Amino acid sequence: MALENLHDFLTDYFTANQCDIIENYNGKLSIQLTDKMDELLMNRPFYWQYVKTLGYPGEPMKVSFITNPNRRDEEGEWVHFGSPRLHQIFNTLISQGKFTKIFERVTTELRTPLVPWLVLNIRISYTGKHKKDEIKSMGLQLINGAMITQIMDELEVLSLQSSIPDFCYTITPLIRLKSGYQRIIQYIENYLQDIDHTWAQESWHHLEEEQKLLEHFYENVNDDHPDLISRKDQELIDLKNRFKPQINIEVVNGGIFYLSHASSIRIINEHLQ
Amino acid sequence: MMNIQLNRDQEFIEEFNSRIENEGSFSSWQLFRMSYRSAVATTTPEFKGLTAPKRLPHVTFLQHQLECAQQVVEEMNGRGILADEVGLGKTIEAGLILKEYMIRGLVKKALILVPASLVNQWVNELSQKFYIPALSQRRRPVWDQQNIVVTSIDTAKRPPHRDIILEQEYDFVLIDEAHKLKNHKTKNYEFVRSLKKKYCLLLTATPVQNKLIDIFNLVSILKPGHLGNYEEFTKQFGKDRNNLFNDAHLKQLIQKVMVRNRREDTGIDWTKRNVETVWIDFTDDEQQTYEELTRISTESPNFSSITYTRELCSSREACYLSIKKLLNQDREIANRLDYENLMKQIEQLPHHAKALKIIELIKDTDEKFIIFTEYRATQLYLQWYLQQHGISSVPFRGGFKRGKKDWMRQLFQDKVQVLIATEAGGEGINLQFCNNMINYDLPWNPMRLEQRIGRIHRYGQEYDVNIYNFAIKNTMEEHVMNLLYEKIKLFERVVGNLDAILSELEIGDVEKEIETIFKESSTDGEVKIKLENLSSVISYAQEQQAEEA
Repeated sequence: MALENLHDFLTDYFTANQCDIIENYNGKLSIQLTDKMDELLMNRPFYWQYVKTLGYPGEPMKVSFITNPNRRDEEGEWVHFGSPRLHQIFNTLISQGKFTKIFERVTTELRTPLVPWLVLNIRISYTGKHKKDEIKSMGLQLINGAMITQIMDELEVLSLQSSIPDFCYTITPLIRLKSGYQRIIQYIENYLQDIDHTWAQESWHHLEEEQKLLEHFYENVNDDHPDLISRKDQELIDLKNRFKPQINIEVVNGGIFYLSHASSIRIINEHLQ
Repeated sequence: MMNIQLNRDQEFIEEFNSRIENEGSFSSWQLFRMSYRSAVATTTPEFKGLTAPKRLPHVTFLQHQLECAQQVVEEMNGRGILADEVGLGKTIEAGLILKEYMIRGLVKKALILVPASLVNQWVNELSQKFYIPALSQRRRPVWDQQNIVVTSIDTAKRPPHRDIILEQEYDFVLIDEAHKLKNHKTKNYEFVRSLKKKYCLLLTATPVQNKLIDIFNLVSILKPGHLGNYEEFTKQFGKDRNNLFNDAHLKQLIQKVMVRNRREDTGIDWTKRNVETVWIDFTDDEQQTYEELTRISTESPNFSSITYTRELCSSREACYLSIKKLLNQDREIANRLDYENLMKQIEQLPHHAKALKIIELIKDTDEKFIIFTEYRATQLYLQWYLQQHGISSVPFRGGFKRGKKDWMRQLFQDKVQVLIATEAGGEGINLQFCNNMINYDLPWNPMRLEQRIGRIHRYGQEYDVNIYNFAIKNTMEEHVMNLLYEKIKLFERVVGNLDAILSELEIGDVEKEIETIFKESSTDGEVKIKLENLSSVISYAQEQQAEEA
């Protein structure tokens, strides 16, 4: 699971959103929210509307979160993996962290080129009788077309920043973004061709079985009962909605990453091994 | 790749491309990385297994509840009858299933139909136990949005709601107290059947109440054709309810769409249930009036004469009002004069012997009590009478509006000592913070008694439960108590399989059965013999079933 440490995750989240940490000790985190984060999280639109209308400075709240279950009775909001607060934060991240443009931090006094990568984190959902998801973290080098999976793991170890480092310049991609995107999707589709789809087979099979039962149920119903016929049609649609196997490909987030030659080559080589 | 519909994401790259071209804003590496991590964290990488319990660390689920949820999701593909015995947590099981589907992104829009009195309770449980932000439907309609709505079937099927609701495509529909849907000719049944829905849960503690065709109708909501079509079903299994239990094939089919846990299967250490029969003697005056009423009723029995006698065993007021209503009718009534005299006699009666007994039982304790009576007049009388003795109480009945019910329950929990409920108030409400119950009048249907007891003797009850059953000597109550309840050992055991036994014996409605016995017997002796026969049959079936098990 990506959140081994919920406490650090929260700390990072508020730090990344420019909130001051007041207290951070033994599973308790107290934060001074900024105006923006108060509006985003505290669910008091009328207050902010009021403040803005009158032109007053708002007073964003201080909040305490408790992640140590042993301290959950103390003052503050207990946050755990299922708590609405955490999922509210996840939801803000869906839009907050969707598009990015990032540069590797390079300390140099020589003119240094940075190589463009298209990174797409993709959620593949398999839905039939049951449902599961899979996340693929795809990277495509936009000059030579090298493609690697699990690129997020590689990026984790680099120093990254939002602005281009001094003395660096970016190489213009040879592969346009849209065709890069197509290549990645094509790769995913090829992957989907190769894997086992017993689940879909079972879902089709089940759908057919239940359709047969339904047909049989209405066998003796004739055109004199339009209401029953239309109910049957609806029930057929319900069945399809419930069982028809489908795969959704959805981009969780993505961006363009400009990496040093060294990093680019290392990532590709490691992937080849 | 085999025939699988593939949906691609077209929006992302368009938006990204335009941001790049127009120098739009971009997120920092930290937020990007966290966004990815939260996506990984909320991903469910396996088809099977439950993920919901991990997200609900503040709730301790029982093994049978987890197994039920898993079975419904994995094997029944989200359509099933949850038929646990009262008090085992059908709501919890349903909540788990709904939560699981929501986590997996399979349910966004749900309709939860429950008795009006339980709407708030459902909303609270869903939000507190499951973090499911459910809305109760009030004045402002929210039908057409993506959300989880709890409402009553009576509201939902009324215009203008009905048409709007029938247009919606629900991912999930739940019907609580679904046994009320068993008749396929009713509007409720037709309504539920017409809802556009993917997943569907029917909750009932008594799935096999009356006729064999009932179960056919319930199953047909979930899986039309699973039990064949109507003609085949009646042809193959007949109308004999016995077949539900005798016919191995039918039993097996039902198990594919129904989960039913019994108390004894759950392996939980339930608190004890102490049951005491409290015998009460009428005063001479009361007894005399009772005899007189019995005489009048026997001489010229009418539709309600049995009821009057039962009512007299409950309170003067209940009986008086009913007879008054009878006499107010503008038609010829045999024994009108007798009844009129009887009313005068009733007016002279002292406080009811049972009411005196209640005071005796609770005046010296601070413990909370629930009193169940069959009659509203008795309820009012008791409330007044308790007040005269400085005992605080609140009434509770089916007709109360939601808010009032919640309020009464809260008052009972926080402030007052006694809750006086009539039958319809017994459904669904949880009162496990109280562990004393007085059955002021016994229902003639043992299943209803179990429903009552289930209000307090349920999971979450920390203390042994005390049940006091009032019965007046030398009246019909004595017969019912001795010959029915004692004999079938109803109180000693948790009822459990009684409903199955009654079905097996084709006793659909015990209450009617007993009523008929009283009505159609000319002597007390005859009543006794018939009641004895009835209970012998039941206890014989019980023994047989115990042996088989």
